[in-house]
Amino acid sequence: MAERELMYREALREAIDEEMGLNPSVFIIGEGIAERGGSYKVTEGLLAKYGPKRVRDTPIAEAGMIGVGVGAAIAGARPIVEILYVDFAMLGMDMIVNQAAKFRLMTGGDGRVPFIMRTQGGTGGGVAAQHSQSLEALFYHIPGLRVVMPSTPADAKGLLKYALRQDDPVMFLEHKHLYMTKGMVPDGEHIVEFGKGDIKRAGTDVTLIAWSNMIPRTLEAAEELARQGISVEVIDPRTLVPLDREMIVNSVLKTRRCVIVQEANRRGGVASDIASIVQEECFYEMDAPVEIVAGMDIPVPFNLTLEKASVPQKDDVVAAVRRSLHLDPFAEAAE
Amino acid sequence: MAEAILVPQVGQDLTEAKVVELHVKLGDQVKKGDLVAVVESEKASFEVEAFCEGTVISLPWQVGDTATVLEPLMHVGAPGETVAEAAPAAVAEPAVVPAATPAAQPEAAQVASAEPLVAKVTSGVVNAALRASPIARRVAAGQGLDLARIAGSGPKGAVVLKDVAALAVGGAATTGGGALELRTLQAGQGTPVVFIHGFGADLSSWRPLVARIGLGSPMMALDLPGHGGSRGHGAADFAGLVDAVGQTLRGLQGSVHLVGHSLGAAVAVALTQRGDLDVRSLTLIAPAGLGASVDGAFVEGFLGAKSEAALAAWMRRLVSDPATLAPVLVRATLAAREDADLVPAQSRVARGVFEGSTQLFSAAAALRSYQGPCTVIAGRDDAIVPLREIEAALPGHVALHRLDRVGHLPQVEAADLVPTLIARTVRSAG
Repeated sequence: MAERELMYREALREAIDEEMGLNPSVFIIGEGIAERGGSYKVTEGLLAKYGPKRVRDTPIAEAGMIGVGVGAAIAGARPIVEILYVDFAMLGMDMIVNQAAKFRLMTGGDGRVPFIMRTQGGTGGGVAAQHSQSLEALFYHIPGLRVVMPSTPADAKGLLKYALRQDDPVMFLEHKHLYMTKGMVPDGEHIVEFGKGDIKRAGTDVTLIAWSNMIPRTLEAAEELARQGISVEVIDPRTLVPLDREMIVNSVLKTRRCVIVQEANRRGGVASDIASIVQEECFYEMDAPVEIVAGMDIPVPFNLTLEKASVPQKDDVVAAVRRSLHLDPFAEAAE
Repeated sequence: MAEAILVPQVGQDLTEAKVVELHVKLGDQVKKGDLVAVVESEKASFEVEAFCEGTVISLPWQVGDTATVLEPLMHVGAPGETVAEAAPAAVAEPAVVPAATPAAQPEAAQVASAEPLVAKVTSGVVNAALRASPIARRVAAGQGLDLARIAGSGPKGAVVLKDVAALAVGGAATTGGGALELRTLQAGQGTPVVFIHGFGADLSSWRPLVARIGLGSPMMALDLPGHGGSRGHGAADFAGLVDAVGQTLRGLQGSVHLVGHSLGAAVAVALTQRGDLDVRSLTLIAPAGLGASVDGAFVEGFLGAKSEAALAAWMRRLVSDPATLAPVLVRATLAAREDADLVPAQSRVARGVFEGSTQLFSAAAALRSYQGPCTVIAGRDDAIVPLREIEAALPGHVALHRLDRVGHLPQVEAADLVPTLIARTVRSAG
């Protein structure tokens, strides 16, 4: 199939554009997304094409924006609400947790909430503790929400298109570092179903599980490990809810070792939950304890050096894989 | 029946441990979990707990003695019971020579086997501190390997899969290509010692011997084609036997020490000529393949015997002193023949390697060109393969031990010396 190289933000724009063209009930609102084309240039050109009724700037009032989105979804529209930083989504948590996530169940299955919150998280460039968080675990914890974390342009496009065709509330969590990254995206209709992971690199010695911006970092680590003669398999679940347990379990059954990498701080994180699934499903096949490489349990520091030190880097992933294989016994003894 | 509490395996390569504390004396009552002794190696001390209840009825070692690992540290039984009745005394029983698999043996309890002893050591003493990955535990259990005796290469000495897989290679070797099953009789570290039985026997015949060798190496054995678990294997001439064993050992991907008896000794010698095997040492017990003669009447009579009396009559030819041939061995051999495929399979091999009283194969040239350490052990009263023919074929660099009042089964009639000589030969190869 033919494909083109696109930036992550361009791939997102294509998804929104294509779906708005196909379905008149899709609309998008957010801060600076119409006139300015969005802080990350995802929505550039959409105002001119679809007009101010479907591409609308909002005041700086996240609670109101999310409330409008959830209400519109319940009423039958397909809203995309762009929140500048996932940190700011905290203002709309009641609408997300108590309304959007519960409505389908509490209406006996009659109601649907096809609400999409597009936002971005993660560290990058010293934007400090209130603009750098990776908050997927908050949404992951809430039954009724879909949690999507694309790492590549192709996944971003395919998952967003799928999100706009399914009927449940979706936390579509992008990463500030990924908007400018490039990747090949298939031409034509490209859709990625939820709950289908992707093997970003095949290998035999250790299974590495990562998502979002930890995928490029983990792939760099995999490259370095390959030079050391270690073959790692990198799995990107792409959607944390629903999670492709089968792909994870099959890979770990093959490699017998598992390292999970998340940018979010460790405590109460998604990595811990995946680790519990792995031990439950694979315990008797495993040859080493599951390793988790995660951010520190601290607010993300503003200082760039400290920021970098607070989240997993390539070398941390390499070291964890080597620990899993017990390749540096003397270093471990010294720790 | 009284049970032995063994001197624990205090380290992978260590055969001895010093008794530093004894918490019981003869006649004392012990119960499960009691601390009965402390022994130490050069590196660490080990507490020994009782794993059963009873009265201490023997206490062979004193504080300060250097005891042999896996030998009884004491026996626990009923008051007045004697040690001769104790389970481990079975170790000293004569070897099972042509024998069935343990399950088929009618008096299995009396037939020596290293495994129950080792299992007791692990359950009673070592297990609590054992570190192993889940998959290593599972594979070891499936292969009958004792984790306590495997040196772990994982974190804090944990046994991980590759440590077990190195020993469990036989499992992989059973598939395809005419390879045989390589069974680990005793787990250990370093270059494996592989035992090849003689005509009419099977790998279980090595178990009593292996228990007495006292080497930390892995001890492995296989059933020759037409014998034991390999009775369905089609190889039926000498080259076929050598090839099947060679393919099997290639799975080890490294060096081996070989110990062979009779026909198995000839196979061992021939294996030194294969380019894909690094044979570090050879111990040949009553080797065939060096002279031309074999007792053809024995082969025919042994295969044809149907009753216990007839079989016993032929099997007595194997030994110098008929008293050393325990009736249980004869009965076990007979019991193995309840599998109707066994005698035809052995007969097929016999036709391929012997013609009347002639051996159709020779390993003499191979032995002359083998340069590693080689020990030959033969009985002066061997009625099956004459000693004088063995002597005549031996090159000068091979050590020959000629044993008085010993027949074709030195491992039975010289049950103390043969393991010593095997250990010495293996160690001499470094």
